[in-house]
Amino acid sequence: MIEQLRFWAIIILLAFGLFFTFVSAVGVIRLPDIYARAHTASQTDTLGAGLALAAVALALGWDSMTIYAVLLLFFVFITNPTAAHAIARSAAESGIVPLTDETEVDVEPDPSTPDEGDSQ
Amino acid sequence: MTADLLNDIFLVTAALFVVLAIMMFYRAVAGPTTQDRLLAVNVLGTNTVVILALLAAGLDEPWFLDIALIYALLNFLMAIAISKFTVERGGVL
Amino acid sequence: MAAERVLVPLSDTVTVRQTVGYAVQSCPGEAETLEFHLVVALPYDTEMPEGQSLTEDAERLLSKAESWVREDASSTNVTIDVTTSVLGDDEYLFGPRDYARTFDSYAAAHDIDRLVLDPEYQPGTTAQMLQPLERELESVGLAYDEAPVERPARHERLAGDGAERFDKIFAMFWISYGFYLVLGDPTYWFDLVTGAAVAGIVAVSLAHVTFTFPLDRIGSPIRTLRFGLYVPYLLFEIVKANLAISLVILRPSMPIRPTMTRVNARVRSGLPLLALANSITLTPGTLTVRADDQRLIIHTLIPSAREDLFEGSLERAVRFVFHGRTGARIPTPEERGDTEIIRGDDL
Repeated sequence: MIEQLRFWAIIILLAFGLFFTFVSAVGVIRLPDIYARAHTASQTDTLGAGLALAAVALALGWDSMTIYAVLLLFFVFITNPTAAHAIARSAAESGIVPLTDETEVDVEPDPSTPDEGDSQ
Repeated sequence: MTADLLNDIFLVTAALFVVLAIMMFYRAVAGPTTQDRLLAVNVLGTNTVVILALLAAGLDEPWFLDIALIYALLNFLMAIAISKFTVERGGVL
Repeated sequence: MAAERVLVPLSDTVTVRQTVGYAVQSCPGEAETLEFHLVVALPYDTEMPEGQSLTEDAERLLSKAESWVREDASSTNVTIDVTTSVLGDDEYLFGPRDYARTFDSYAAAHDIDRLVLDPEYQPGTTAQMLQPLERELESVGLAYDEAPVERPARHERLAGDGAERFDKIFAMFWISYGFYLVLGDPTYWFDLVTGAAVAGIVAVSLAHVTFTFPLDRIGSPIRTLRFGLYVPYLLFEIVKANLAISLVILRPSMPIRPTMTRVNARVRSGLPLLALANSITLTPGTLTVRADDQRLIIHTLIPSAREDLFEGSLERAVRFVFHGRTGARIPTPEERGDTEIIRGDDL
């Protein structure tokens, strides 16, 4: 019974992990500029990676190696946003202007139309 | 029985993660800015860590997690170092 | 020459008495009246919970300093005029820049001739800030004069006093020893011995790098516990925001509305700011691009994420972790008028 529960928990965690990583991959390809990409690239992916690592920790059971998986999970959660922030800040410092509401109207359709074709 | 099935599921998931990583590779190649590439490579690194962890579970080789841990550390350092490097004045973080 | 006006910012330091004394003696003799403006700049808003006790401390310090001025000036025969005031009670002073600006506007309003600065000047709870303050005062163009004081045992103060130093090394030792044993085997004598050696080296060499603030023997463990409460809440927010973002990205029309916003967060620098900025970044839809002092520049992807950000629930949660339950009861950034949507090229 408990084995069964653990089995399905692992499957669900893996499925959601895969889903969020998929969203992050789609976001990285579709979104118009570096700042927008950083949202999915580093955060949606963090959740995807976190869920997959949680599945691994659950599968390893009560083992000394589980601690490794949990440590890895914590580590990914702390370092990913920091790295995303460093990248976004470096983009801001090198003068990359983000697309915002005002600029969006005339600039946004161009990069998104060919990408939409890709993802469908 | 379930243990074998579970191992297979882990390996299949790892394969799907590889496919997603290849999707991200498009951004690393296409750019257009250095930061875009850096971001893509950083995400690829995170995916590699997850793939290593999934393989550790799927192949019953727990020591893969050691490599995953070190890879995660290096990946973080790389992102910080290159974003610092791309800014002339320095001072990122 | 009719009057000489001197501005003396005060803070509770060992050298504040000497600074006041210097301010009185150093005044040129030809002035008929001396106007002393004694001010205390408060780091917090008085409406904030931690502002209350600070205001009381400030008033006590001001009345003490006023009596010192009268005592020192009693030997001379010039007329002494003392004005005391508390600055910064209506805004949130953060870095040296804010203090320099506050002093400058006060000096302009009261026609101040000279500013006498305490070398140990240290408002609020932040680390010593004389050098950055001097730089900022120069940049706003306010002339200042540093009081020559004798500092008792300055070298010891720099390294932190004994107990403080011990606390840092103690905490650092057990954190790194614990980490080592988690990765190693806690029952194997070799790992125990090498772990102790490595943790000892790490603790001695890196303790003052890791903890830039003095540890509080009671406060720090409580904060760690409260942080434990914060993690599930943060995870819940992350999952919620992730689902919202996923829906937006997977829609073929992709209805994103990227905006740059500036939010003045009410958390101190260092660890609380790091926690807040990282939490904001971890929640999809909001990304901290810059954190200059407490001014966060945040890129938001969808309007609902922006509204959540302006409601400041994460800010309140971080304040709960570091300041407890009463510290969390503050108005939202939007109500305070601390939010602003800025143009993309206006970084």
